[in-house]
Amino acid sequence: MTRASRKLRSPEASAFYIAGILLLGIVVAAFIVSLFWTPYAPDATDASSKLLAPCADHPFGTDNFGRDVLSRVMAASKYTIFISAAGVAIALVLGTVSGIPAGYFGGFADRSIMLLGNSIMCFPGILLALVAVAVFGPSVANVIWALGLVFAPTFARVCRVGTMEIKELDYITHARVMGVKPARIMALHIFPNLVSQLLPATVIGLANMTLFESGMSYLGLGVQPPDASFGKMLSDAQAYVRIAPWLIVFPALMLVFYILGLYFISEGLRVSLSKGGK
Amino acid sequence: MARHIHIVKVHHLTLSFPTRKDPNPKPVLDDVDFGIRDGEILGLIGNSGCGKTMTSLAIAGLLPDNARITHGSIKFAGKDLFAMKPRDRRAMLGKDIGMIFQEPSTALDPLMTIGRQLEEVLTAHKDNTQSGEDRLKAVTDMLELVGFTNAEEILSRYPHQLSGGQRQRVLIAGAALLKPRLLICDEPTSSLDTVTTVSILALLKELCQKLKITILFISHDLSAVRGFCDRVMVMKDGKIIDKDTTSDILSNPRNAYTAELLTNARLDTRILGLEPANVDYQASPVLTARDITAGYGRSLFERVRKTSEEKTDNNVLHGVSLDVYPNEILGLIGGSGSGKTTLIRSLLGLLPHEGTVSIKSASIGAIFQDPVSCLNPAHTIKWHMAEALRSSSKDPGKGFKGRAKALKRIISVLEECGLGAKYLNRRPNELSGGQRQRIAIAMCLIQEPALIVADEPFSSLDASSSAELLKLMTDINRERHTAFLLITHNIHIVRQICPRIIVMDEGRICEEGTTAEVLTNPRSECTAALLEAERRIHGI
Repeated sequence: MTRASRKLRSPEASAFYIAGILLLGIVVAAFIVSLFWTPYAPDATDASSKLLAPCADHPFGTDNFGRDVLSRVMAASKYTIFISAAGVAIALVLGTVSGIPAGYFGGFADRSIMLLGNSIMCFPGILLALVAVAVFGPSVANVIWALGLVFAPTFARVCRVGTMEIKELDYITHARVMGVKPARIMALHIFPNLVSQLLPATVIGLANMTLFESGMSYLGLGVQPPDASFGKMLSDAQAYVRIAPWLIVFPALMLVFYILGLYFISEGLRVSLSKGGK
Repeated sequence: MARHIHIVKVHHLTLSFPTRKDPNPKPVLDDVDFGIRDGEILGLIGNSGCGKTMTSLAIAGLLPDNARITHGSIKFAGKDLFAMKPRDRRAMLGKDIGMIFQEPSTALDPLMTIGRQLEEVLTAHKDNTQSGEDRLKAVTDMLELVGFTNAEEILSRYPHQLSGGQRQRVLIAGAALLKPRLLICDEPTSSLDTVTTVSILALLKELCQKLKITILFISHDLSAVRGFCDRVMVMKDGKIIDKDTTSDILSNPRNAYTAELLTNARLDTRILGLEPANVDYQASPVLTARDITAGYGRSLFERVRKTSEEKTDNNVLHGVSLDVYPNEILGLIGGSGSGKTTLIRSLLGLLPHEGTVSIKSASIGAIFQDPVSCLNPAHTIKWHMAEALRSSSKDPGKGFKGRAKALKRIISVLEECGLGAKYLNRRPNELSGGQRQRIAIAMCLIQEPALIVADEPFSSLDASSSAELLKLMTDINRERHTAFLLITHNIHIVRQICPRIIVMDEGRICEEGTTAEVLTNPRSECTAALLEAERRIHGI
């Protein structure tokens, strides 16, 4: 992939990549630093410094329990990145494992797999995830599973359509004539050629999953207190939006950076890969 | 309109594709200088990648964005094309310069009827003087001119309901509708069978005379050029190395390259050293097929709805039986849509069919028509070869020793196919069409099959590559005693290397026998038609 994009990168794609990596870099840097060090413990309360505006000691201010917002934002980036990455990984695995055989075999396998996928897709995604979390209990692991399941049909569709196109090409016929087994054809002959279609879908999936996760945390069904996530911080800050706007601004900004960064990167991928697709 | 002696004058044109790494690359077109005389049919021949298509794109103003013209000019009817505004140039396309491309299957919008597509050509040029009825009449007349007897009916058809030859006719009609002064034909016949090719060439010639259209005909099929063009230019590595009247160049080549092209096109068995092995027809056949019946397009819905009698109607093959003997190169010819490809798909076990196929070998190899999609773009050549070896029963096994042994075999097979170890780590997009077809053959060979099925492997290759490929195939046949089942439009190739042929028509075998017998003394109509078409095109 890197070979193709390096060779064919256009100025337009480069601009998207740079913007995307800069924005995403802010969030990822916060995440990496938070693993080793945060200015204060993210859940340490301090009754003497409640709702402080941004100052030298607390650059992003403090919340209603006197917790340092900068530390909490850094800690929250950890959950956001982890949940979106793990959820997309689950969706990607489920999607490819079901979508490629559906496209490759067609007929009954295709029908039944797609029926399952379509029945998941015909519910509003967030509702389904909320139901799953409500039934199994709110925890980070359940949120990841629920979101992974909800997103899997999207990837399955991308894989199915790509497979249906590729399987008609001569090199797949050739592999079949040579006596390569279907599982190997799907894994080694078809899958590598789907990467160019899956990559942008994955990046967009990361962004969408982050939005879902924030929404669920906002509704109180995602990350549980005292842990912080961007959505949870936004919902907590709601009550103080008039007197302490910094509680909203900083987590919201981080969320925007993360999602916008991902969108820019996917746009860059789309531009450079569609040029390379010729 | 003023008539110029040269409708197009290309003046010392040099064109290259500079990149950031290499700002002064080797030019793709190097000091190309020629004129197209008004009313003539000018042929442009040469091997793949010699710059034929770039020349035509430069004239039409359709060059890719990253192409840069470093020198020279093109004048169309006295106007300098490079000095014109992009808008004016675009307006010229279609109206003054028409183009027909190689692949008729992708050039038409699948969701538009033929009538609407052709009308679109007229409306796009904002000719408001015409009413809808006039336009319809113009389209119908043009369809009749290009040889449709049922023009009214064709208007409401969709592209998928037409055959390749019919689609190419529609495209020609579309290009001729605006009565352009120059028609650029970029290999318009290379994906068509011989019978269709002859009719398309005759049609183009008729249009040239009736509508006074000048034609630039790009081709690597020298036999098509011979009877069709008034003058011929030979291109090599972006340079025009020879130009003169057709008869002069093709009967009396003045330089080594043209002579080589001619030899390759003629497929002279002695010069190329094509010597297929002797066949023993007493031996038991390597492949026996009996009463193959197969068809497409039975969806679940149709299967439930239709009775068993109706089901047999959409079969493409009807009770085909054939034997392939060891060491033999069996030719399979027939027009487009005669069921050749369906037959081999059934033989290879890719299509469900009725009847029996028995093969006396662990595996059959297969080579397909399209060199672009025959290799997986995601993997290196080494991977392809290793995969072929792995999936055969000849796999030397895992581990260090096994892998070293495998690599040695891969290299030896590649060398046998005229490619060395340096190709191991290349990817398919770094190879030419001929090289890719060689890799496809190498992948078959490494499995040591007793039979290789080749489905029109030459049709997208130029004369030199196909001559080389043909030589490779006969060498393999002679040295390895591999049998070939060769499917082709090109009767000339069959005549040169196949001891026995089968002629197919409408899903049935209509004639079978030794090549000499069938081709000198055809007993069936379809063989006679194929031979007649070949005779007209080659002028034999």
